[in-house]
Amino acid sequence: MYTPQRSALRNLKMRNKNADLVFPSHKPIPDKSVGASKQSGTNAPVKLVIKPLKVKPMLPVNFEDEMWHKLKSAIIAIHNHRPVKESFEELYKACENLCLHNMAPSLYSKLVNECEKHYIAEKRRLDDNPATQEAFLFEINRCWELHCQQMELIRSIFLYLDRTYVLHTPGIASIWDMGIELFRKHILPPSAVRQKTLWGLLSLIKYERGGDSINRPLVNTLINMFSQLNIYTQGFESQFLSETRDYYEEEGERLVEKLSVSNYIQHVSKRLEQEHQRIMNYLEKKTSTPLFKVVEDELIRKHIDTILAKGFSDLMKGDRNSRKNSKSKLEDLEELYDLLQRVNALDRLRAYFGNYIKNTGASIINDPIVNDPKQDVTVIEQLINFKRRMDEFVEVSFSSSYNFDQALKEGFETFINKRQTKPAELLAKFIDKKLKIGNKQTSDSEVESILNDALVLFRYIQGKDVFEGFYKRDFAKRLLMNKCASDDYERSMLFKMKRECGPGYTSNLEQMFKDIHTSREFMKAFYDSRYGDQLREEFKVDLHVNTLTQGSWPSYNPTPLNIPPEVAQCQQIYETFYREKARGKGLKWYNNLAYCVLSAYYPSGNKEFECTSFQAVTLLTFSELPQTELRTFEEIQQATGMETKELVRTLLTLACAKVKLLVKHPKGKDLKPTDKYSVCDDFKFKLFRIRINSVQMEKTMEENEKTVERVFLERHYQVDACAVRIMKMRKSLSFTELISELLGQLKFKAEVPDLKKRIESLIDREYLERGRDDPTIIRYLA
Amino acid sequence: MKVKIKSWNSVAIWKWDVPNEEVCGICRVAFDGCCSTCKTPGDDCPLIWGECSHVFHMHCLLRWLATEGSRGQCPMDRKAWVTAK
Ligand SMILES: [Zn+2]
Ligand SMILES: [Zn+2]
Ligand SMILES: [Zn+2]
Repeated sequence: MYTPQRSALRNLKMRNKNADLVFPSHKPIPDKSVGASKQSGTNAPVKLVIKPLKVKPMLPVNFEDEMWHKLKSAIIAIHNHRPVKESFEELYKACENLCLHNMAPSLYSKLVNECEKHYIAEKRRLDDNPATQEAFLFEINRCWELHCQQMELIRSIFLYLDRTYVLHTPGIASIWDMGIELFRKHILPPSAVRQKTLWGLLSLIKYERGGDSINRPLVNTLINMFSQLNIYTQGFESQFLSETRDYYEEEGERLVEKLSVSNYIQHVSKRLEQEHQRIMNYLEKKTSTPLFKVVEDELIRKHIDTILAKGFSDLMKGDRNSRKNSKSKLEDLEELYDLLQRVNALDRLRAYFGNYIKNTGASIINDPIVNDPKQDVTVIEQLINFKRRMDEFVEVSFSSSYNFDQALKEGFETFINKRQTKPAELLAKFIDKKLKIGNKQTSDSEVESILNDALVLFRYIQGKDVFEGFYKRDFAKRLLMNKCASDDYERSMLFKMKRECGPGYTSNLEQMFKDIHTSREFMKAFYDSRYGDQLREEFKVDLHVNTLTQGSWPSYNPTPLNIPPEVAQCQQIYETFYREKARGKGLKWYNNLAYCVLSAYYPSGNKEFECTSFQAVTLLTFSELPQTELRTFEEIQQATGMETKELVRTLLTLACAKVKLLVKHPKGKDLKPTDKYSVCDDFKFKLFRIRINSVQMEKTMEENEKTVERVFLERHYQVDACAVRIMKMRKSLSFTELISELLGQLKFKAEVPDLKKRIESLIDREYLERGRDDPTIIRYLA
Repeated sequence: MKVKIKSWNSVAIWKWDVPNEEVCGICRVAFDGCCSTCKTPGDDCPLIWGECSHVFHMHCLLRWLATEGSRGQCPMDRKAWVTAK
């Protein structure tokens, strides 16, 4: 395109080089008077007298016109892409000479004038140009590129002017700036041409946003032209930004409805990257901040609630079965986190995260299976898994943010403590299952990691005393029924709780553990003593005694049971030994908590039954009876001395469970008072040693220990003691001061109305009194 | 069917060997509770018997014997305190 003109310009430049006129200003400006004095100085010393010239040297009459004529025709040639006739040396000299003869001001204004004529003509040409938008942009582009080339040439011709007169005269633009000014004034004033250029540019950018590829170098030069003309901010950027706002406003509203949240997030990220590229490719760097603000406003800030409300829980849920899917959810949330961080809206995301945890957690612990004893601990498993997933989100998606970790913690604390005692009970039960014999986890590390998970939930539970109550109940069962899978696991769990809550928290549990170990040592000493010898000689019973410290264990009540005389005698022997060894101590037997092993002889072979004392005593009343002999309920009760409730439970486990040691007449699942019982001689069961269902004894132990009530009673004592202690020290406090002191000191989370009741009760019991003048004041009564 | 006891796992709670409801003559707290400075009854707050057959929380008696007024005597009968063996 435009080949003839271009080659003309190239010729011009070539000549320029040949003439060695690239930096003409480096040549010294000749000084005629110095040259003259040198000439006369070669002779012997001469007295030099300077006389004023009588007549000023005259310039040729038409000197200025001639010089200007040369220069003007060069300007015109350059503007018209024609070769310049004169050499550049000549032109430069012409300019120099005019300047030396004080004609610079008029030369400058003539130059401006001449250039202006050119731009006025150019403008006219552009106005008449009916080209399409893109062709028009090319035209402007050409115009600008020519302007730059031409001004460069003109400036080098007029360099002397530029370096002297222009440089030293304030208020006059440099030749280059003068060109820019003329271009701006005539070609791109705030007029139709500028508008046309602007809209052309904006529509190219719009095409690019729409996915088309555009002539980026063209856009780049034109935007650069706006910058050079100093109209970038006014004449381009503000319209560009408002156009951008319109574009993304529409797009945001449309896509936030149409796309899934996950796709929308990805789209926004892509848009931000594209706009970043735009900055790199052709915009001024300073546009970056306002541009991103516009995009963030329209695509993110305006739609935060829509995005979060529509998609947050979906993003969180994921599909647990699909590894890939859940991974992409993590990434989606990470992107969402990044986007919201850009617009300073992480607190909104955090609020959604917190609420999601509260709601999901509440739906887990309110699930009806909580009331199904067979499945209820799966709730704890669900909570552990839920916690693990939320941890993963915090770590991967929310860049391990402290605030999000706090939201997670608060969420768990809130929903777990909405139900007062159930989570504590279930957690204790869950741990019990894991620490009991028969638990499926085999490796130590597996058990350890489960205990750690459980401990995390433990931390969230505010009613630590409630948990301790349940834990103690289950721990007692494990210890007394010899069901601990491993002493090491037990110790590890105690250590963990101690580390969380201090030594006071586990002192009872540790005492229990110690009692069991002390009992083993005592048994060893017993069998090494003459009492042990005596027992072995007289009886064939292998006796073990667990001796408990009262107060550390759950409170059990002994219930009546006629233990076999030989067992009673064995215990007698042991007690004699014990009194001798542990001076000052005696024993109180709890036969309802005993369990034993029976040897059974059937026609088909021998068996061993592990059973509770109730079951053993009941079975013993049937020993050696023929199968035909039936016993009534009353007869059995007479022989065993058991309470009706306990005997009913015992008979159910012996005659109605899967392993039937007794036969009920008539058969059936329920017991009737008229039923009769007999032995079952054709007992067929493969195993030699059979563990008879001991749920009954566990029930007995749980009933005796009314865990929750005891815990709440214990809380009353603690409040009373704490209130009296505070008042003893402070003598007199207002009601509200006392309550806030109590809230600060009590180890469990107390409710204000409960505290008020306790204070009233202390007033009734005359530990405290109300002020006579001011009833809101509480006083200590010595 | 014939059954015999092979092993018997008993549970017992130990108690101080003192008559029920009897209290420590010094602090007036029952013996299955602890002295005024201890928190949990049991081995941590043991009892002490004198040859005079009186019994106290060991902590209570030691505190008593440390006072000048005690003159090393049993606070119940004012005989010289000798711990029973
Ligand atoms: Zn005492
Ligand atoms: Zn004590
Ligand atoms: Zn005495």
